[in-house]
Amino acid sequence: MSSEFLLEIGTEELPSSFVRHALQSMKASAVELVGQARLETRALEMHTMGTPRRLALRIRGLAPSQPDRHETIMGPPWSAAFDPSGAPRKAAEGFAKKHGVDVTALRKQTTDKGDYVTVEVYEPGKPTHEVLATILPELCSRISFPKSMRWGTAEVTFGRPIHWIVSLLGDDVVDFEFANVRAARKTRGHRFLAPNELELDRATQYEEALAAAHVVVDVARRKERMMEALRHGANELGGVLQPDPFLADECVSLVEEPFVVPGSFDDAFLELPDAVVISVMRNHQRYFAVRESPGGPLLSSYLNVVNTALEPEIIAKGNDRVLRARLADARFFVEEDLKAPLSDRLRKLESVVFQSRLGTMGAKVRRLEANVRALAEQSGADVEACAAAARLCKADLETLIVYEFPELQGEMGRWYALREGIDASIADAIRDHYSPQGADDQVPRQPVGAIVAVADRIDTLVGCFGIGLVPSGSADPFALRRAALGIIRIALEGPIDVDLRELTAEAHGAYAKDASLAPAEEVCSALDEFFRGRIRAMLKDEHGADVLDACLGAWDGTSLRDLQARIEAVAEVRDAPEFETLAIAFKRAFNITKDSARGAIDPELLEAGAETTLARRFATVRDQIREATSERRYADALKLVAKELGAPIDRFFDDVFVMVENDAVRENRLRLLGEIADVVNGIAHFHQLATKLQGRDPSVPA
Amino acid sequence: MTFQELILALERFWANHGCLIVQPYNSEVGAGTFNPHTFLRAIGPEPWNVAYVEPSRRPTDGRYGENPNRLQQFHQYQVILKPSPLDIQDLYLESLRALGTDPSRHDIRFIEDDWESPTLGAWGLGWQVWLDGLEISQFTYFQQCGGLDCKPVSGELTYGLERIAMYLQDVDDVYELQWAPGIRYGDLYKRAEWEWSTYNFEQADIELQKRLFEEYEKQVAALLGLLDKRGKGGALRFGREPLERLILPAYDAVIKCSHYFNVLDARGAISVTERQRYIGRVRLLARAVAESWYSQREALGFPLSGTAAAAE
Repeated sequence: MSSEFLLEIGTEELPSSFVRHALQSMKASAVELVGQARLETRALEMHTMGTPRRLALRIRGLAPSQPDRHETIMGPPWSAAFDPSGAPRKAAEGFAKKHGVDVTALRKQTTDKGDYVTVEVYEPGKPTHEVLATILPELCSRISFPKSMRWGTAEVTFGRPIHWIVSLLGDDVVDFEFANVRAARKTRGHRFLAPNELELDRATQYEEALAAAHVVVDVARRKERMMEALRHGANELGGVLQPDPFLADECVSLVEEPFVVPGSFDDAFLELPDAVVISVMRNHQRYFAVRESPGGPLLSSYLNVVNTALEPEIIAKGNDRVLRARLADARFFVEEDLKAPLSDRLRKLESVVFQSRLGTMGAKVRRLEANVRALAEQSGADVEACAAAARLCKADLETLIVYEFPELQGEMGRWYALREGIDASIADAIRDHYSPQGADDQVPRQPVGAIVAVADRIDTLVGCFGIGLVPSGSADPFALRRAALGIIRIALEGPIDVDLRELTAEAHGAYAKDASLAPAEEVCSALDEFFRGRIRAMLKDEHGADVLDACLGAWDGTSLRDLQARIEAVAEVRDAPEFETLAIAFKRAFNITKDSARGAIDPELLEAGAETTLARRFATVRDQIREATSERRYADALKLVAKELGAPIDRFFDDVFVMVENDAVRENRLRLLGEIADVVNGIAHFHQLATKLQGRDPSVPA
Repeated sequence: MTFQELILALERFWANHGCLIVQPYNSEVGAGTFNPHTFLRAIGPEPWNVAYVEPSRRPTDGRYGENPNRLQQFHQYQVILKPSPLDIQDLYLESLRALGTDPSRHDIRFIEDDWESPTLGAWGLGWQVWLDGLEISQFTYFQQCGGLDCKPVSGELTYGLERIAMYLQDVDDVYELQWAPGIRYGDLYKRAEWEWSTYNFEQADIELQKRLFEEYEKQVAALLGLLDKRGKGGALRFGREPLERLILPAYDAVIKCSHYFNVLDARGAISVTERQRYIGRVRLLARAVAESWYSQREALGFPLSGTAAAAE
């Protein structure tokens, strides 16, 4: 019967994020060390638990001891170890000593290469507690933190100073020392609610004993209790909890036992934008907001997750006072901000650095204004509205409230703009141009916001690429990958198409006065490649890498929606039953003609039968296919190809030998196939599509 | 509890726990950390336990006496325990009891708050202490000071006296605090806040501050014999032996530089790029002082090692 093992490291208050981080590394190291020490059984179960004051590891299913070790170890050649009379030489003595045996214990083994000395080693498995005692100091030292520290005179580093260590295998202490602390069976309960030392008789009583001492040590269980208390609290206040997963993760490891204390503030503060009230509460005080109903108005109440709640009224009173001062500060900032229109802040942007070699935010805003005009004209959006939104989109960076709460950028710009009576489409664009912020975030829905968003991102991309700040590996300090992805998503999911080539060239031109960038051609071609890489990364899971390569190959790097149309069309025909043979045929046509010259087809040289049929059929549909292609009706074009050319080209390859001796006939044949290949390649590069069957390569004579 | 009773209670408490009670520094400092009783004593192996009030100046925080919470000069109560004892949190909580606050009736939490002083080349890890959501203290384990590793580590406790007093006296406006019976905080400092805010934001002579910064910068180098030319790996080189360097006057000049920089900053006379350069210049001076201090104490045989004066 195996025993349960418990390790608990008691510390001063670890930052909330450290607890998660440390527990992960603790588990990973334990798995590795226990494995190396050969203590594993099939049913090994490791579980980590933790609060700000403790990191714990429970292991179930440890073997009672290591398995014994039997091994035959090969030593030096027999002749080097023993002289002909059989007396041991130095080599034999050394080998025997190394393995802790007498020379007489050495054996001879005959191999292909001659006789060798061997020794039988037998090491009885050590009991588990003995093995653990040797690996635990290593385990403790491997626990990692985002930042580590020293304390007192100790030489070790840890997330915070260590006060105690519990290490129990069953009901026995596994003795070891780390950071001058000797492992024992004494733990501690809640700092204020159960401050005395607590002796554990055995590992299995850990969670229960701590629960009685006001510590919910399992993170998931603690979070469950906290969430329940929060929902209950919101309900008591007559509202619903404003969901905030990030705040919940933070709060759960700021306490050992979660209590929820409600508090309130003056209704007058609800005149501030919700986002400001929520930011004040969450950033400064880590309070949860409560709404009347999901998405409804905020209540003038909040919920506070605390560690001790013997006197909720005292705690609420203190917190209310702090929040009142914080909200009063925020209101002061907003009132000050409202004293001058947003446009007054543009001057200040002239002294804010965008990037040291790319100039100021003021210059960036001027470039944006120029860039959005071109974009707006192309997509038929309101040019003046776009220009106004571009001019104001960064103005709120110079407001007091955004200085205090940077995450409110855009949101507050919109709010101030609406207060000034600025048109809603412009105000919305000030907010929306930051979207999408991540993969889960929506793209701007209105054209003005989308246009400013695209202009802002391309300006950053062109500027950074222009001075050689290109993402490499995991390093992407200017979030250029996200910027490119944003543009792609806006074009594919949002209200406007984007012509990447023109966009890049315009953005480069706009830099003329502000910074000296690499030549336009160089920057545009680097960005073309960068965008293609991003598109591939973004869409390959959905459509398959070969479909993307086929479409990217045919795409000219301009309209993103054109690329999208190709991808959709190819994806559609790909599921059709005749696709396979069609793809193989066009692959052949491409491969055989890729190095041959193009030119007019001479009907006189065509062989009667399959060749003439193919040529005639192609002549009748060629222009239709081209027309559909140029109108971006790629699905129509591909259907025409399949319907009209599918059977003839198949028959052609079955009946006609291309590489005939007669030069004129062969070249004419290649011209026909070449033209067909070119027309089809204008839609997508079929030769890059994966096919299940590999066709016979007609360029190689059978 | 009046403001002065609060100070007296802390003085008594920490004196009883083996701290030397010393006085504020007589030059403009931004925090108790700048006082040589902290900055210099945190360097090197000698034990050191000390407590003192520090009137601290933050020119950019001035609000002309109009904001009930923000001041350009406020008071810190600073405690240094070196090496940091394992019961430092318990001692701190006990000190709250000495102020008449029973920690178990409140929600007391230690919230991550790492500290860094770019001008002093100092940083540490620790917390802000929350009492019912109010930040009343900062708690730091010094890891580096003047660019030198702290061995042993000092534990620094900094009480925000105005905050705590407002809590204890249950007032929302700092100027309403009772400093002593019949004398309010506002009687002492409201006018001062207006004058200093006006000076720092509007009237401080920019050219004068810039010149003073530069003169004091030169003075530091001269007093330490700091050479322009660096050694291997950027090591500082000195033309004077440690015992010949005038470290305390030099450190005084570093504090002056830091202060003039703060005034220039409040005055809006420093651009973003200049800002980094100014900070780097002060940090270099602080490092020269720190290294000199270590060398000098070493040359003196670290005289406080093993003294009762520094240990309980």
